[in-house]
Amino acid sequence: MLRTLILRTLVFVMAAGAAACAPQKVAPTPESPTFGDFSQRLEQYLKLRNALPNERTTKSREQIVDRRHALAEAIRQSRAGAKQGDLFTPEISEQFVRVIRGALQGSSATNVRKTIRQGEPVANIHLTVNGAYPEHLPLTTVPPTMLLRLPQLPEKIAYRIVGHDFVLQDTEARLVIDFIPGALP
Amino acid sequence: MMRRLLLLLVLVSSQTVWLWAQDVSLPLKPGSVRFAAIGDMGTGEPAQYEIAQRMLEFHQKFPFTFVIMLGDNIYGGKTPAELAKKFEAPYKPLLDAGVQFYASLGNHDDTNERFYKLFNMNGERYHTFKKGNVHFFAIDSTYLDPKQLAWLEKELAAAGTDWKICYFHHPLYSSGAFHGSSTELRVVLEPLFLKYGVQVVFSGHEHVYERIKPQKGIYYFTEGASGELRAGNLRKTDLTAAGYDKDRSFVSVEISGDDLFFQAVSRTGVTVDSGTIHRPTEVQP
Repeated sequence: MLRTLILRTLVFVMAAGAAACAPQKVAPTPESPTFGDFSQRLEQYLKLRNALPNERTTKSREQIVDRRHALAEAIRQSRAGAKQGDLFTPEISEQFVRVIRGALQGSSATNVRKTIRQGEPVANIHLTVNGAYPEHLPLTTVPPTMLLRLPQLPEKIAYRIVGHDFVLQDTEARLVIDFIPGALP
Repeated sequence: MMRRLLLLLVLVSSQTVWLWAQDVSLPLKPGSVRFAAIGDMGTGEPAQYEIAQRMLEFHQKFPFTFVIMLGDNIYGGKTPAELAKKFEAPYKPLLDAGVQFYASLGNHDDTNERFYKLFNMNGERYHTFKKGNVHFFAIDSTYLDPKQLAWLEKELAAAGTDWKICYFHHPLYSSGAFHGSSTELRVVLEPLFLKYGVQVVFSGHEHVYERIKPQKGIYYFTEGASGELRAGNLRKTDLTAAGYDKDRSFVSVEISGDDLFFQAVSRTGVTVDSGTIHRPTEVQP
């Protein structure tokens, strides 16, 4: 009941606020000016996302979980037609893959590979856009030197590595926004 | 009847051994900052509860006021029932006694844990707080993005001459056989620690206890065995000052003036490491 109420509220707020909400600027990365189109696509997602209420700290375990589920459902409904490649278009994917593979082949390649390995990487997960990142699985560390070369993201969004795939995740909803299959060798 | 008496005798004697073994070597100086450190604890299994019980017994002799959590606070499922089983239930007596818990996030944690009030993260993936003359910096080492690094540098610079203690999940130096040292994180974090005079670092991830010989003047502790355990996982390396990989453990710390006293205690209440760190006036470049 509570979940339904939260979900309805979120969907309503999302629909009403999306148009009016000013897009949150994605921080530019001077080293990677060619990611510009990615920033614009991400801003479209953030228009929807920022229309939702911000999370607040609470002692209620139920509230945290209920809100996450309701948030995920609201995003799914708003992006019902979303598909792989909406943000990571072939052109953008190519640029990401170049940076990712460059980090895995450069002078710090050993450290970068070790960082990913130490993060207990998970493989053989079938990813889908709007699908949930399974909650019982660990988060693989995204090498900080790789993050330095990629477009910076707002706090609610993160890059993830899942097996060989490179993922854009909504961290509060734990949803897959988009992914690049086979980005990592 | 005899069996019951025998069982009672065993229980009483084992409790006595714990109480005897769990002597506090910390000085309990007036006005000192007192805390405990636990890592990789959120299993909900009996061993976590046993460590929580030892912490409670220790707290009666050494009333620490807060606990730093080194990540992997909640393994597996994150339902409300599991959060209760893996955090609220084992530490309830400590929570009831007013002990505060300050979490950092591990690779098994949900980033939404930052909204859980009892973890005192104020809704942030990384955060800082101050107790007495000690600044604590809880870092999210799973996702060390440029924004977080800029935040850390700003906060470290603002901390002045106080003690600076950083804690996060992945150890920069470790003799653990399973993961070992997080060398890439070290490349990014260590220069900041040196530049701004961080004295002590706590991490988890490796399911053992280890105290590292000072590295460039900084003291590193790994406590990743407060719930999980990889028995026998410590390799022999030149890094180790002291280590314990036979059972679960937690660390208690007292800071008074320029001295930091520590005592690591096992699941059976045995002190497995203890000592004093005198705050160096400046770290090596």
